[in-house]
Amino acid sequence: MTVVGGALLGTLSLATPLLLAALGETVVQRSGVVNVGLEGMMLTGAFAAFVGTVLSVHLPYHLLGADPNPYFGLVVAVLAGMLIALVFALFVVRLAANQVVVGVVVNLLALGLTGTLLRTLPRTGGGFLQTQALPQIFFNQTILTPLAFIAVPCVWWWLFRTRRGLELRACGEQPVAAEAAGIPVMRRRTAAILFGGAMAGLAGAFLSVGDVPTFQEGMSAGRGFIALAIVTSGRWNPWGCLIAALVFGFTDRLQIQGQAIGLHIPHDLLLALPYIATLLILAFGSGWSVSPAALGRPYRRT
Amino acid sequence: MNTLPLPTTDVTPPSLPMRTLRFLLQIAGYTLGFLLLLGLTFLALRIPAAEALRSLWTGAFGDAQNGHLAALSNTLIETTPLVLTGLGVVVAWRAGLFSIGGEGQLLMGALAATALAKVGGHLPAPLLTVLMVLVATLSGAVWGALAGWLRVRRNVQEVISTIMLNYVAKFVVSWLVLGVLQEHTHHNPQSESLPNTVLFARLLPRQWSDNMQTSLHGGVFLALLAVLVIAVALYRTPMGFGLRVMGQNAEAARAAHFPVDALRMRAMAISGGLCGLAGVIELLGSSTGSLPANDFSSGWGYTAVPVALLGGLHPGGTLLSALFFGALTAGCRNLSQFQGVPTVLIYLIQGMAVLAVVGGRASRARRTGSETE
Amino acid sequence: MQSGGDAGAKRDLPLPTDGVSPSRLTMRGIRKRYGATVALNQVDFEAQPGEVHALLGENGAGKSTLMQILAGLTHLDAGEIELDGVRVAIRSPREARRHGIAMVHQHFTLVPAFTVAENLALDTPSTGWQGLKPYRAPSAAAQALDYARSLGWELPAETRVSELSVGTQQRVEIVKALATEARLLIFDEPTAVLSRNEIEELFHVLRQLRDSGKTVLLIAHKLAEILAVADRVTVLRRGVRVASAPVAETDAEQLAAWMIGPALSAAPKAINSPASMAVAQRRLSPALEGKGIRVRGDRGEWALHDLSFTLARGEILGIGGVDGNGQTELAEALTGLRSMESETLTWEARPFQPGIAPRIGYIPQDRRRIGLATTMSVSDNLLFDAVRESEFRRGPFLRSKALGALAATMIQDFDIRTAGPDLPASALSGGNQQKIVVARALRGQPDLIVAMNPTRGLDIGATRFVHSQLRQARDQRAAIVLISTDLDELAALADRTAILSDGQLTEIDLHAADETQLGLLLGGVPQATISEVEPNA
Repeated sequence: MTVVGGALLGTLSLATPLLLAALGETVVQRSGVVNVGLEGMMLTGAFAAFVGTVLSVHLPYHLLGADPNPYFGLVVAVLAGMLIALVFALFVVRLAANQVVVGVVVNLLALGLTGTLLRTLPRTGGGFLQTQALPQIFFNQTILTPLAFIAVPCVWWWLFRTRRGLELRACGEQPVAAEAAGIPVMRRRTAAILFGGAMAGLAGAFLSVGDVPTFQEGMSAGRGFIALAIVTSGRWNPWGCLIAALVFGFTDRLQIQGQAIGLHIPHDLLLALPYIATLLILAFGSGWSVSPAALGRPYRRT
Repeated sequence: MNTLPLPTTDVTPPSLPMRTLRFLLQIAGYTLGFLLLLGLTFLALRIPAAEALRSLWTGAFGDAQNGHLAALSNTLIETTPLVLTGLGVVVAWRAGLFSIGGEGQLLMGALAATALAKVGGHLPAPLLTVLMVLVATLSGAVWGALAGWLRVRRNVQEVISTIMLNYVAKFVVSWLVLGVLQEHTHHNPQSESLPNTVLFARLLPRQWSDNMQTSLHGGVFLALLAVLVIAVALYRTPMGFGLRVMGQNAEAARAAHFPVDALRMRAMAISGGLCGLAGVIELLGSSTGSLPANDFSSGWGYTAVPVALLGGLHPGGTLLSALFFGALTAGCRNLSQFQGVPTVLIYLIQGMAVLAVVGGRASRARRTGSETE
Repeated sequence: MQSGGDAGAKRDLPLPTDGVSPSRLTMRGIRKRYGATVALNQVDFEAQPGEVHALLGENGAGKSTLMQILAGLTHLDAGEIELDGVRVAIRSPREARRHGIAMVHQHFTLVPAFTVAENLALDTPSTGWQGLKPYRAPSAAAQALDYARSLGWELPAETRVSELSVGTQQRVEIVKALATEARLLIFDEPTAVLSRNEIEELFHVLRQLRDSGKTVLLIAHKLAEILAVADRVTVLRRGVRVASAPVAETDAEQLAAWMIGPALSAAPKAINSPASMAVAQRRLSPALEGKGIRVRGDRGEWALHDLSFTLARGEILGIGGVDGNGQTELAEALTGLRSMESETLTWEARPFQPGIAPRIGYIPQDRRRIGLATTMSVSDNLLFDAVRESEFRRGPFLRSKALGALAATMIQDFDIRTAGPDLPASALSGGNQQKIVVARALRGQPDLIVAMNPTRGLDIGATRFVHSQLRQARDQRAAIVLISTDLDELAALADRTAILSDGQLTEIDLHAADETQLGLLLGGVPQATISEVEPNA
């Protein structure tokens, strides 16, 4: 494996969870909702995937075999993400509570819930839980990576080339106009939030069963916030998210491999680069597309 | 001529005694609900609930056997940074700015203080301490003002910008502490330890706590002072008044000629300064005064949000709320003796508590049709 | 655009069975209250296919309310609506659309960030799998764009709405309405934002629509426009239908008279007279003099062009006119919240510096949105300005006791009915909320007071109170600009009156002019010959 090839694959791999979460969040923000709780949803997905895989040995169907099945874990992760998203939607859409507040609380809840439940799992061996990771399909990647990359054009196409996508974007730009056109804004926003939760669940699953099967407290380590940055610097466009996610993944990879190559830039600054870039784009990128006009404002049907 | 007396208002408010009673009942309700939830959680974790609860209490407040002072000292230590970062949230959110930049601001504060200590090591100890505190507060203020400037001049939403700045701060700290600020042996990923004379003194003599040195330090006074200062600033100064009006109705504030842009900058600067202060206090209150390259903060900047919310975005309430969170944290440490109780349990409980309060307020607001926070 | 039986079946309207062809629209006995105010009182209205029917009236006459009921934006309290002879209930805009009714709003319901094509493609929500079908906005909007072309409009399909001129935006809005296959179109003051050329083009479109058999309802207050384009006109005054007539059989004077009603009573001025006579006896020199004032509106257009007026201390200048003629912009410009250009603008012979010379008291028109912070206490709301005065500071701190005393004094002096100063302002009735705003504006004895619709939504007691406060302020030598859509209020309070129409001021003597002249002015017919009244002649 050449250095370049390894670097490329490593980048793809590191970018995958970020991309998945960012795609979901793009849809959510396009509908007009800010989900700061993305981090918590990813963490929940990670936990759920892990637990689901561990528990899959108890499934009755012989088809799945007696071994732990990480694909089952994926399904559980998606469901768990959607469940948290449902709670989020309840507060943010139904009750029109402040989106930032609820998002921060979701993060807290997820951290506490997953950490606590982790302790309730039965232990084997030296206190570590043994289970299986997702199998690698090609180029040492799990199924999640190509899934993420295929999702980019799919989400783009859905947002910008279908009626439903147009209507969703209208909800995020001018909900009053959307409502006047007969679009049920609250319902569409809830659906978007659920989709975001599902994607966040998948992203989290990557973390726990994507490589070495493990779960630790708080293992999302701020990736949810990075995904938020990706959505913003990607200008709420799936292709932009792809580029931003690759950049983040690349710099992440650089700082791992940097010492080997002998880079002169301190790797901490490399790590900070994407965040600084996001700030600069937000501050001075006025020529680019603007955020959905109604983003973050609670909407109540009058 | 109409002889009937006109009604005074459309809504007759309850009298003061009634309101106090209602408030107390609310508190009681929340507390009971909270204890119930805790008990249920323990049961679910197959932990003896009663013992666990008592253990929690002991960890926070002590009992006859295990000195009260030691426990209280722990509680207050946990409370101190939360008070300050919580106040930071109060000031910003009251002004209508949803800043979650506490982490970054406190890091920059601690960093600036560390940098000063490095170049000013020759200065006499009390002076150095004071200067470190000042520099840290200033640095935090600048970091906050940066987000404020981005909002005022470039319309960048502070939610995103403060999160970004948190990460930048984290990496700047890591870079510098592993670089020029690293301790002289270059073995450990932290800055140089500071002499005892510079650090905050321990308040409680050993004898009072079974000859075990408690870590309660002078920073707690600074935190209390900050509560007073902010309370006065918010409610007894023209700037605080303008800030509050702006947070409630920016349009009305502008129409009444309040300097909205300047107020926003000031709010972010004050908020940042408070968190910078939290950073230096934690630095000077520690046993070595050395800044680690990573994980200096236990999430005080993020926990500040539920602290402030639970405190009703009010300085006094935030103090009480921070005490609650601090007691919970200290108490939870005592639970480690029980198998299967993670420290992250705290977060779960915090989250549920805040969700309950936020949800309660939101649904009440929805019913009365007014704006939620 | 299909028509005929298919359309009828699609809209679930059974075809009428009687032989006589009924009116396209019949509204009978419509009643609507907003709290204590009666917006519509037993109003009848009917319209035919193939006509342009205008609804004329002042602010508060009820024309907007009537049309909002028809468009499903609000509900009637009593009465019935028939379409083509069939009784219908219209409970939402969606239902209105199903019945073939579409409204072109004054405040557009377009998505600014979307292109024209995207906005046009947005008209009906997709259901089920239909939503996933690929579309390209221009093709989805092709029908609508073609229709626009048939009206003579070439709409720039790929341009963002936010980048279009107001006139073009309105065209998009119109095409959106038309694309719903509506047979009845309501236009709400469509000419308010248009230039002269654009107005002509709009009229052309309205005539085209009429000729194609549609019913066009036009809410308007400009007489010249009604005479130019409408076939019939119905006049409402204070919630009552006053008259309906074919336009050909009436003229501007008649319409004006119908709109305003019987001559304004002289009584209010009589109550005034001791003070006003005293004022007349004083030799007043102008304090505020402005010439060639120009102010831009929010959309970049000139809301006021070439305004000139003078105002003396101890005088109330009333500025009347229908909403949307630049009143808000004028108020904001005078109070320093909006920039303005002028040839000359002086206060007491020195440059006009709002807030410093003159000190200003402002009573804005929307108390909930910009007058008050309703979640804060009554006391806090009263003290917005006081907290910035040195008198109430001690060093960096506020003198809370003094402020509290001030608030208590204001509550008492202005008779603000509240159970306590710490109650949130939202707990007070509308009248008392307005008293807070008035109290704050008048407290510091400002030199110049700008009051905009100060008694809107208030009951008689509160109205009388506000009026007496303004008179008192005037007697204490403040200069007052009273902007109001209520002519009675102007007649009662103003020493001089001018009508603001189309960004221009025309002076008028409310008591000398008859209702025709008034109506003409309100209706936007410039009257060069109306008597020029000197201050307090």
